[in-house]
Amino acid sequence: MSLLRIIGLKAYFPTQDGIVKAVNTVDLEIEKNERVGLIGETGCGKTVLGFAIMRLLQPSTNIEGRIMYNGKDLLKLSEEEMRKIRGKEIAMIFQNPPTFLNPVLKIGYQIAESTQLHQGLDKKAAKEKAVGMLEAVKIPLSSKRVSEYPHQFSGGMKERAMIAMGLACDPSLIIADEPTKGLDITIKMQIVKLMKEVTRQGSMLFITHDLGVAAEICDNIAVMYAGELVEYAKTEDIFKNPMHPYTRGFLNSLPSRGLKQIRGISPSLIDLPSGCRFHPRCDHIEEVCKNWHPEMVECDKGHYVRCLQYG
Amino acid sequence: MHRKVAFIIGKKRLKRNVAFTISIYILVAFSIIAIFSPVLTPYDPYTITGTPLEKPSMGHILGTNDLGQDIFSRLIYGTGITLFVGFVGGGLAILIGTFVGIVSGYYGGVIDEFITRGIDLLMVIPMFPLLLVLASFLEVSMTRISILMGILGWTMFARVIRSQVLSLSEYNFIYGAKAMGASDSYIMIKHILPNILPLIIVKFVFAVQTYMIMGVGLGFLGLGDPTTISWGQMINRAYTNGGFALGMWWWLLPPGLIIAFLSIALSLGGYSLEDKINPRLRREIEIS
Amino acid sequence: MRIEYVIKRLFYCFLAFFVGISITFVILHLMPGDYISHLLINIESTISPEASEAFKHKFGLDKSLTEQYFIYIDNLLQGDWGYSFEYGVPILNIVVEKLRWTLILLIPATLLSLLIGVFIGAYFGWKSGSKLDLSVLNVMIFIRAIPSYWWALMFVLIFGFYLGLFPLGGYMGIGVLESGTDYLDILHHSLLPMITLTLCSIPGNYYLMRNSMLLTVGEDYIITARGKGLSEKDILFKHTVKNAMLPMVTMITLELVFMISGSVFIETIFSWPGMGMLMIDAMNARDLPLLQGIFLMDTLLIIIANFTADMLYSCIDPRVKVGE
Ligand SMILES: Nc1ncnc2c1ncn2[C@@H]1O[C@H](COP(=O)(O)OP(=O)(O)O)[C@@H](O)[C@H]1O
Ligand SMILES: [Mg+2]
Repeated sequence: MSLLRIIGLKAYFPTQDGIVKAVNTVDLEIEKNERVGLIGETGCGKTVLGFAIMRLLQPSTNIEGRIMYNGKDLLKLSEEEMRKIRGKEIAMIFQNPPTFLNPVLKIGYQIAESTQLHQGLDKKAAKEKAVGMLEAVKIPLSSKRVSEYPHQFSGGMKERAMIAMGLACDPSLIIADEPTKGLDITIKMQIVKLMKEVTRQGSMLFITHDLGVAAEICDNIAVMYAGELVEYAKTEDIFKNPMHPYTRGFLNSLPSRGLKQIRGISPSLIDLPSGCRFHPRCDHIEEVCKNWHPEMVECDKGHYVRCLQYG
Repeated sequence: MHRKVAFIIGKKRLKRNVAFTISIYILVAFSIIAIFSPVLTPYDPYTITGTPLEKPSMGHILGTNDLGQDIFSRLIYGTGITLFVGFVGGGLAILIGTFVGIVSGYYGGVIDEFITRGIDLLMVIPMFPLLLVLASFLEVSMTRISILMGILGWTMFARVIRSQVLSLSEYNFIYGAKAMGASDSYIMIKHILPNILPLIIVKFVFAVQTYMIMGVGLGFLGLGDPTTISWGQMINRAYTNGGFALGMWWWLLPPGLIIAFLSIALSLGGYSLEDKINPRLRREIEIS
Repeated sequence: MRIEYVIKRLFYCFLAFFVGISITFVILHLMPGDYISHLLINIESTISPEASEAFKHKFGLDKSLTEQYFIYIDNLLQGDWGYSFEYGVPILNIVVEKLRWTLILLIPATLLSLLIGVFIGAYFGWKSGSKLDLSVLNVMIFIRAIPSYWWALMFVLIFGFYLGLFPLGGYMGIGVLESGTDYLDILHHSLLPMITLTLCSIPGNYYLMRNSMLLTVGEDYIITARGKGLSEKDILFKHTVKNAMLPMVTMITLELVFMISGSVFIETIFSWPGMGMLMIDAMNARDLPLLQGIFLMDTLLIIIANFTADMLYSCIDPRVKVGE
């Protein structure tokens, strides 16, 4: 039995301008000790998917489908039961540490909070644990840093502190939301190395729009476009044999392959294109792509694609 | 994920629109009363038209005061000065505040530092007591008192406007305009002013409300020109000359209820306007 | 470690104090109509020019404005606030005595209105959007829109005059002449003005706190806290309220200024012998030194509030840089 199994997940936001269909019928599985990368352009719904798993979306959101975690459907749990899972079994490393860290609380306190809550540590033990966590994420002078506030940390250090917060209770599943975004290249590489190290045990959903980073860390990669998954395969397959035109375009936009951008812009999630979501930007478009919405099909063993070329 | 706030505002928006329209109607009605008060009054408010302390009757709808003047007529006549003080005092405070705020926020640097520190220093002076003393010593007309009120009260507005301008100056269109060689005064008037206008209007509505209340308050304390009929002066007279002890509610209550009514109307208008201007703007206003 | 910051703020306070009293000194001394001629109008008699000169000489009014100013500042530095024209006693004594009475109203009213306003504001900022929230909002707008003097009058009329639950004004009953000071009696007299002042100050605190809560609840770090599995109660008390209080702290000074203006009306209506009444008295008597003394005290209060706000802010918000 897989650790996490998402079945037909939808997350729609009703807004004044219309319904934002941020996540559309997503199926995804994460095994124990597996690291799955979730890649896609900004705004394609990656964060919303992460939030949906954590049940952190605002109450007005329409959510459908099932999120099976260890055999339980997270969407059916009471808020009380869900609270015991958050931070303890599933933890999220949020995208933008400067805004996701509380500016008026000490870093140490923010890390210690969840260990006090979930592991029943007393104040002193929790603080020691926080120092240990800061050490683990390679923050120098951790016993001093633990009593500092977020504004005293540099960007890279905030990211590390965020990671420490996520890992504090040894969760079985970590959702890391673009932990390398906005960092310069040396610090980025350090964080990647760190993420690889600290998550050697345990599963991870690694959200990023940086394929290079995903390749470093993940066993499998899911490619997301306009709220749905369009390709899923082993990391090396994605790189060696990308099948979906979008994945290929994405790969070609990597610096090592010539920085070729995909033409057009990503579609509005309120008025999704008919047929294949990608057809307005696709180079292999046929008439049928305009009205026929393709399903995910397994082309090779463990290699799934949502494209009519392979149907 | 700041959308929660926006959602709530969205739901309330409709109701607030109604409130705004109503408050505009009320304001217009009061202005008409103020302009046409000589036509609308049954008696001359200054002359003695009945025996003192008459009860309400067909002849005198709200009875007469201790001098035998018609209370209803005096009430009508008091409308003009209340609106006048509110609009002139509030308008002047907003005008000065906007000017100082824009200059300070736009130029930044030393000028901003100087103005901000200056305002900080001015804010330690107890302005309301000062206003009372000036009003009582100078014994001037209500026009001058309104102007005084404006001059003493602009600092708050300057602060709010400044922080709003400050957040605007970071936007590209300002840089763009600068790069195109537009003059400073051109940018301030053509680019900055229109962007902060919604905020200015909201603050103006609240300023008018505050200054109207204050104007009536001065009259109540017995300050200001005693020959101008005002609601404050009427309350004072009723309160000190027996309207209170005799239980003559028709003497004491009307001027107070009417200023309260006007104030509530304006304040509803102000809050609904505040809801309308976009939430991002809101965010900055509240934090400033 | 914050010493430098504290010293800087203190220095600034002195500067502000100095500028503040200088401005009021100049304005007050430029006012037309002096004490003597005003007195003469009132008692409808004449006074010999010699006597008038003697009076002016005694209070140093025959000197030039600049000279008077420096003498005033010099005296102030020695703790001498001058003598009142009207009462002929040291101003410091009168002002301190009256300040005590004002503070009897002001301190409980401030604390109470802060407590109630912040509490209600925090609660409905947290649970915003409900029907109850909207009704409370409208009630608060209503309370705020009605002038404080009108609330005061209505309360006297209803609770004092018609229901007879409270005295109509003053600070002690007549019985005090025989029985000496009766604190319960003072409390009884102070209750209604205190309630009025509190009521009028609640909406401002409430509105600010509610808005501040609304903004804080939308902050990303609240999601982080939720993501840790914290209970709603912990999120509210540990992650939201403290952050939302920050803008409140900066409002302390404005709050005090609002209260000072409000208490002028309240004291007049309730005949409460505090600073507000004293000022009206001094104004009517053209007692310049006394007025100057009152301004001095008000300025001092505002500066103390300012300083307190700065210190509190730097305690709650770690982002205030040392020495900034
Ligand atoms: N609370 C919300 N209400 C309405 N739309 C939202 C909300 N949260 C996210 N969205 C929209 O959902 C889409 C996906 O957002 P997100 O998951 O953050 O993208 P990303 O893939 O960059 O993480 C975006 O278009 C965003 O505007
Ligand atoms: Mg994202």
